[in-house]
Amino acid sequence: MQSLDRLFSIIAGYMDQWAVLPVLYYFHWMAWDDLAFDWCLICVYGLFAVLVTYAICVPLELWRPVERWPDKKAVAVDVLYTLLNRVGVVPIVTFVLFYQVQTWATGFLVERGFIPPTLESLVPFLLGRPMLTFLIYALILDFADYWRHRLSHSFRWWYALHALHHAQRQMSFWSDDRNHLIDDTISFLWFFVIGLIIGIPPLQFPLLVLALKFVESLSHANIRLSFGPLEWLLVSPRFHRFHHGLRAAGRNSCNYASVFPVWDIMFRTADFRDEYLPTGDARAPEALATGSYVAQQATGLKLFWQALGKSWASLGIGRAA
Amino acid sequence: MTTHQVVSTAPAYREPSHWALTPDRSQLLVADASGNALFMYDPRTGALLGHKRIADPYQIGYTPDNRYFVVNALRLDFVDVYDGATLELVKRFKPGRWPSHLDFSPDSRWSFNSMQNSDTLVSLDLTTMTERWCVKAGTTPAGVLWLNGRVLVCLMGEGGIVEVDPIKGGITRWQKTGDGAHNIFLDEQRHILYVSNRGPGQTSLTALDPITLKPIRAYPIPGGPDDIAIAPDGKIWIAQRFAESVAVLDPETGDYTTIPVGRSPHGIFLSTMLKQKGQVTAERLR
Ligand SMILES: [Zn+2]
Ligand SMILES: [Zn+2]
Repeated sequence: MQSLDRLFSIIAGYMDQWAVLPVLYYFHWMAWDDLAFDWCLICVYGLFAVLVTYAICVPLELWRPVERWPDKKAVAVDVLYTLLNRVGVVPIVTFVLFYQVQTWATGFLVERGFIPPTLESLVPFLLGRPMLTFLIYALILDFADYWRHRLSHSFRWWYALHALHHAQRQMSFWSDDRNHLIDDTISFLWFFVIGLIIGIPPLQFPLLVLALKFVESLSHANIRLSFGPLEWLLVSPRFHRFHHGLRAAGRNSCNYASVFPVWDIMFRTADFRDEYLPTGDARAPEALATGSYVAQQATGLKLFWQALGKSWASLGIGRAA
Repeated sequence: MTTHQVVSTAPAYREPSHWALTPDRSQLLVADASGNALFMYDPRTGALLGHKRIADPYQIGYTPDNRYFVVNALRLDFVDVYDGATLELVKRFKPGRWPSHLDFSPDSRWSFNSMQNSDTLVSLDLTTMTERWCVKAGTTPAGVLWLNGRVLVCLMGEGGIVEVDPIKGGITRWQKTGDGAHNIFLDEQRHILYVSNRGPGQTSLTALDPITLKPIRAYPIPGGPDDIAIAPDGKIWIAQRFAESVAVLDPETGDYTTIPVGRSPHGIFLSTMLKQKGQVTAERLR
């Protein structure tokens, strides 16, 4: 673990010294010198997460696939979604925004005589236990994500966006990031606000998101795999596939949890049946399933707009049918 | 006996950076900026003694008379002056963007603080608690050192150091050292000045003559050298920020060994410094 971390740092250090810093210095942005290393580290972690997911899932998908497809045309766009979201730009922008807003909020509070606490300062036991602290942050974020996901199935306008995620009939480990940009933005803000409230360190924020997404990738994989007696502990491919089942598309769904099924157990939305159902959303336009990236985004936007109109008409309390 | 091994690790919240020794030498204070805390360790064993919540401490230091404890809060743009004995906040300045490093005049009247993102050097009068002057020092100023009646400032964006007149703030000399010139140190005998150059590209430590400011020798040190500490045997311990290591350099031969230590090593304190006379700071002795 430690030597892996060291390897990441060394790769990030080279990236920083030979690729990023020269650019910063060229544009006279060297004040960011300290933070540039963190940006590189985020890139390295993102790339590593994708590679590990690939290395684990490809053999498993070959060995025990739930479905066999004549071609994988619909998967290609999911690869694009994944790379955009995990390596480089999106995580770095996340980090920079989170850093800036956290700094601004801290300064605002400090000037009014209040030093915002950290989780470790509230729970002294966590001092010197970074892995445990990280796990608690992950639990809190995942809890928030359970409710975000559940609500996205409850509102007509929100499901119009989320339908893009459910439309995929060739669901594989690449599918986790196939989301509408507006849906992504909402998720981002949702996490962002929670992260600020619980005082996650800026560098840990994108890393937490990557760690959670790592489990989410596995759970989307086209693998006939359940965790048996440990199904309650971590979301398995079986557990999440059930959520993606044709019957579960839309309002009456189950298994909303992304990483820890405990939230579904707690709020009685868990379904542990040992079945592997075909995925997709029968009501979704074909463009959402097999269209290009641009076609998917455009169709999602159109559906969102229509749903918003209907919700508006019924005084904003419209529900997805 | 030196084994060059990590013997123990003590916790902090987030990003421990610079250090200061309490006047009675019983505690090593370590600034943890994004953790908003000052951690206290035993300077002999490194054992954690406690911590105090203060806003965003990055670079910290006691005035030579130990009356004040001054904190550069880099993220929050504050220079906070605390009472040296009680660590209660006395005065808060907002003199520029990203206060980075600091030093004092030997009579403790003035502080000099570099503003990393305003390209300025600011001097505060600690007797009247007012800002004396603010001058354009050059691109991205960092390390600050009072030397022979002048103030030296590292300029990361210009790859060298400037000498500033502490009375009026005018620039009197300029010397190139290396890209990303970051921090500056004086050896115990006051014979050599060291400047760490943090890149981009090849990073290094430059040795300079403290009188003429002319470079004597450059040591290529990879991984972004940051703070240094000089051991009684003459070896220079260097934090390699981005290589997760501490390098131990023999300045005679230029050879060095590295010790893996963990993420982002920043300030370095050697327990042998406790034997030194006068006020011990990271940058020099008084
Ligand atoms: Zn869903
Ligand atoms: Zn899904």
